[in-house]
Amino acid sequence: MGLKEDLLKLKEEAKKLIEEAKDKNSLDKIKVKFLGKKGEIKQVLKSLGKLSPEERKDIGKVANRIKEEIEGLLKDKLAYIKRIELERELRENRIDITLPSHWIETGHQHLITKTLQEVVDIFISMGFSVAEGPEIEREDYNFDMLNIPKDHPARDMQDTFFINKDGYVLRTHTSPVQIRTMLTEKPPIAIVAPGRVYRKDMDPTHTPMFHQIEGLLVDRNITYRDLKGTLQKFLQEVFGKDTRIRLRPSYFPFTEPSFEVDISCSMCDGEGCRVCKGAGWLEILGSGMVDPNVFEAVGINPEEYSGFAFGLGVERIVMLKYRIPDIRLFYYGDMRFIKQF
Amino acid sequence: MKVPYSWIKEFVDIDKSAEEVVEKLNETGLEATVETFGEYIPNIITVKVLSVKKHPEKDRLYICEATDGNKTYQIITGADNVKKDSIVLLAQIGADIKGITIKERKFGSYTSEGMFLSLEELGLADNADGVWLLPPDTPVGVDGSKLLGLGEEKLIEIDITPNRGDALNVKGLAREIGAIFNIKRKEKKTDIKILNRLIPNISLETDKCYRYRGIVINNVEIKPSSLEVQLKLIKSGQKPINNVVDITNYILLQEGQPLHAFDLDKIEGKITVRNAKDGEKFLALDGNEYSLKSDDIVIADENGVIALGGIIGGETTKVDENTKNILLEAANFDYISIRKTSKRLAITTESSYRFERGIDVESLPEAENKAVEMILDLAGNNSEVMGEKDIYLYPYQPKEIKVRERTVKRIIGIDIPKEEIADILNRLEIPTETIEDGTVSKIPAFRSLDLTREIDLVEEVGRLKGFNEIEESFPSIPINTDKNISYYKFENRTRDFFIDNGINEVITYSFVGERIYKSLNLPLPDIEITNHLTTDFRFMRDNLAVSLIQVQKENLRHQIKDIAVFEIGEVFFNDFEEIRIGILLRGDFIKGFNFKKNKIFFTTKEKWSFLEVKGLIESYLKLLGITDFELKHSEKTYLNQYESAEIFVRGFNVGYFGKIHPEVAEKVEIHKDTYIGELKLKYVSRKLKENALKDGYLYTYFKLKDTPTFKDLPKYPSVKRDLAFEVDDTVSVEEIFKELGNSSKLIEKISLFDIYYLDENRKSIAVSVDFRDREKSLSDEEINREVESIVKKLKEKIKGLKLRG
Ligand SMILES: [Zn+2]
Repeated sequence: MGLKEDLLKLKEEAKKLIEEAKDKNSLDKIKVKFLGKKGEIKQVLKSLGKLSPEERKDIGKVANRIKEEIEGLLKDKLAYIKRIELERELRENRIDITLPSHWIETGHQHLITKTLQEVVDIFISMGFSVAEGPEIEREDYNFDMLNIPKDHPARDMQDTFFINKDGYVLRTHTSPVQIRTMLTEKPPIAIVAPGRVYRKDMDPTHTPMFHQIEGLLVDRNITYRDLKGTLQKFLQEVFGKDTRIRLRPSYFPFTEPSFEVDISCSMCDGEGCRVCKGAGWLEILGSGMVDPNVFEAVGINPEEYSGFAFGLGVERIVMLKYRIPDIRLFYYGDMRFIKQF
Repeated sequence: MKVPYSWIKEFVDIDKSAEEVVEKLNETGLEATVETFGEYIPNIITVKVLSVKKHPEKDRLYICEATDGNKTYQIITGADNVKKDSIVLLAQIGADIKGITIKERKFGSYTSEGMFLSLEELGLADNADGVWLLPPDTPVGVDGSKLLGLGEEKLIEIDITPNRGDALNVKGLAREIGAIFNIKRKEKKTDIKILNRLIPNISLETDKCYRYRGIVINNVEIKPSSLEVQLKLIKSGQKPINNVVDITNYILLQEGQPLHAFDLDKIEGKITVRNAKDGEKFLALDGNEYSLKSDDIVIADENGVIALGGIIGGETTKVDENTKNILLEAANFDYISIRKTSKRLAITTESSYRFERGIDVESLPEAENKAVEMILDLAGNNSEVMGEKDIYLYPYQPKEIKVRERTVKRIIGIDIPKEEIADILNRLEIPTETIEDGTVSKIPAFRSLDLTREIDLVEEVGRLKGFNEIEESFPSIPINTDKNISYYKFENRTRDFFIDNGINEVITYSFVGERIYKSLNLPLPDIEITNHLTTDFRFMRDNLAVSLIQVQKENLRHQIKDIAVFEIGEVFFNDFEEIRIGILLRGDFIKGFNFKKNKIFFTTKEKWSFLEVKGLIESYLKLLGITDFELKHSEKTYLNQYESAEIFVRGFNVGYFGKIHPEVAEKVEIHKDTYIGELKLKYVSRKLKENALKDGYLYTYFKLKDTPTFKDLPKYPSVKRDLAFEVDDTVSVEEIFKELGNSSKLIEKISLFDIYYLDENRKSIAVSVDFRDREKSLSDEEINREVESIVKKLKEKIKGLKLRG
């Protein structure tokens, strides 16, 4: 038996033990057993002295190679064991990913403000600015300057809330914002004014408070055709590209000519259904060309300037779009309602 | 107003269907709908009653014999208005009346071979007294349904805008339809003979009556109207009464001119049209007694008021079956005065409704003459028109209005030649001629209230030209100035922040009631609604807390106990308004399973508490760039003062938050761990040109905040030191933070990591401080010196402070 054979035998033995090793501890023991200062390889090499320098050199090479091989095997096995242990640890810490989560549940935006924003943003993108006014409004801004004199039947169309402050009312529409804007700014004027308005009314389709969006464009050479184009663009943005619009001459004191604007019913595509009460059309907003009396009231020359105005009820649009049966649902703050949207 | 289409066709030769007409009316500005009159019912026939006798066995029943000309029927009826020779509608065996099939039926030992019908059973009235007695001119033995036009006649209903009083009658509608379809309207002129034997003694003593015409007719026989008149009234939704009353209603519907018939013999002496005396009493036809005011217009005789002008007739002079001679009134009253009176006394009649919207003063005599003609025709052969008096002091002067082609182009946007403008207006019976740059029109009386300016005629032109057919264009809109968009964006960002943080948006009424204010120990708001709907809607709120508490209560009713809501809305004060955001938070806001090393899953709950709410508000303020604010204990009556704070920015109060006071919570029945907060977003002025960027509002500070400029990123490391101080309990953490921050330029960050009580009066506060010098690395020694100096400064500022450890 030569030393070489002894070494090779040791290698085979180490290899076998490494394969069988189950943890880092066993590997450490194997390392000591074979590669330690008093390890078996060292023991074999002790008898090296008896050999010739060539043989010594030769055996030394073999011994080193075997040492490296065993070290390599140990390293690989250690890495393997670590991986296994990590895997086991991860598995032990595993989570049921279907468990209920643990974070703040995002809140819900109210449908009214959501729709209001959608509408206002469309007009902002067309170049309109946002204007505002108080909800307790001067009676003359709310009525007289809008060409609604006292004792005019049009005042009946809007049941007004009066307050303990002379000359003021709860605004019945957002139209007084037109007056405020025109009194403080010179044309060109392009504004939208969203806000709460108040009328003395209460049933499934009316609440004493609701939301309107007012629009006003005043400049030289603004015509009915611009009104039609602007509203068509806006309504197609809200209700879809295929929406057709219809302007029916109507009456509002502060516009002349005045129009009720209908859109084709999206439920039945104009065929007539329950939503549109068989008409195929849905009344959606009121509009018209600014009445010269209004221009005169705010000191704008109606011979030089013209303009259009429109006002739409936000609740009506929301009710149509989301099929909400009762307008009062908007104002209870009932989470069972709010969280549906 | 609802009228049969066939009636309209008497005034215009039109071959279009009612549906086509209605569609065009809508397109040109009159809201119209069409419906069919009733439903065809087979087996109804007109019969004449031959005899009526009491049922020998049954109380309150009558046995009648009736004939259709060929056959005689035995009919048992409970109606006591059926007489011999009455002409009535008979539902024969097999007829379906309101879902019930008529069969032979025995009443005692007598058999009924059908049923006499009332208006109610025909579905034409909501209630009816007795069988419908048809007038004597009704043919016998004809199909009843056909005779009435059931299931065949088209009814057109018009809902007018307040400016179109002229379209509130058959004639006006015919005029409108004629103009739309370009068909000339037709009208038969009256021809009556007026004797001058009895001129009524009428004097006009008010300036609120523009015309008053009275006609005396003698020997009038009061009886039911002709079948034609009755049917037209029934189809128009009115109940026939007697010939004279029916004729006044008929003319009102057809001509738009309200008429009133007085029993001449009940009038005492001279008639005066005057203003009422304050407190004057009037017994009206509706059975009520009204107390009048000097604004009201009355017709009076020597005994007092006999009619409330333009609104309702009086009981004392009403026409009844014994009336012989009548005074027929046609008048034109001031519409504002009528409106005021009608509103004050809460009486709306067909007459007042029309007066308020304007009546054609010029065609008054013709309309009245038509009525006279009908009365002479229907009310007896001996009648004579004894005399008339027409007081019309200031005859109508048509206003001339020019329409420039240029204006039409400027408003409508298309060129319409003056010839076409004139043609359209003439079709509307507005006499118009062309002039150099357009047209000139003489406005007829029937449109005098509505058409007063060039623009009004421009609308008429566009309306009939067909606004819908005119092609749209898109205006070039000047670039927006962003003035208010920034607040709009600010509000949107605010809303998004709270939604993203799990708070739900609500919108509540701005109205509040006294009750909730009492419960919260708050003084009532400034603004009271004088005509409020209910006591809960009596005031305009001056805070959002009251509204949000009601939202919480509403949800508690549905067993929703965890709640996180906010509202952005206005609150109201005597001279200004504020936009605020209010929040209300209660209960768990995070619920979930947590994982721990020991492999135990357990449920965690995080509840809204003072610090969570503070954190929410703080991080919102940080979003706005507001990091410098102060908190002071709140003294709000409805808050627990030990767990609530008022927020100050730059020394101004911008809001508050805190826990509800337990007594208040108990009173309003909400949870005691409810947190409420409000932040003032924006000042809303009622004055023009007032700067809305006032102090005390977050939007103001958001707008005014400085734009940060870049600082070099630190080159040298920071060093952390932990310091623990012992202080009196009265010293707040914030105080220590503030003084620490002021004490050294090298301090970059301070964080609290421990706080505990040493005894009742002393506590330990441990903080970790980051030091950094932007110019160099700090040595231990330098930091030690800095800490020494800091502690020295702190000891001077905060009494009783000691460095620990
Ligand atoms: Zn539809």
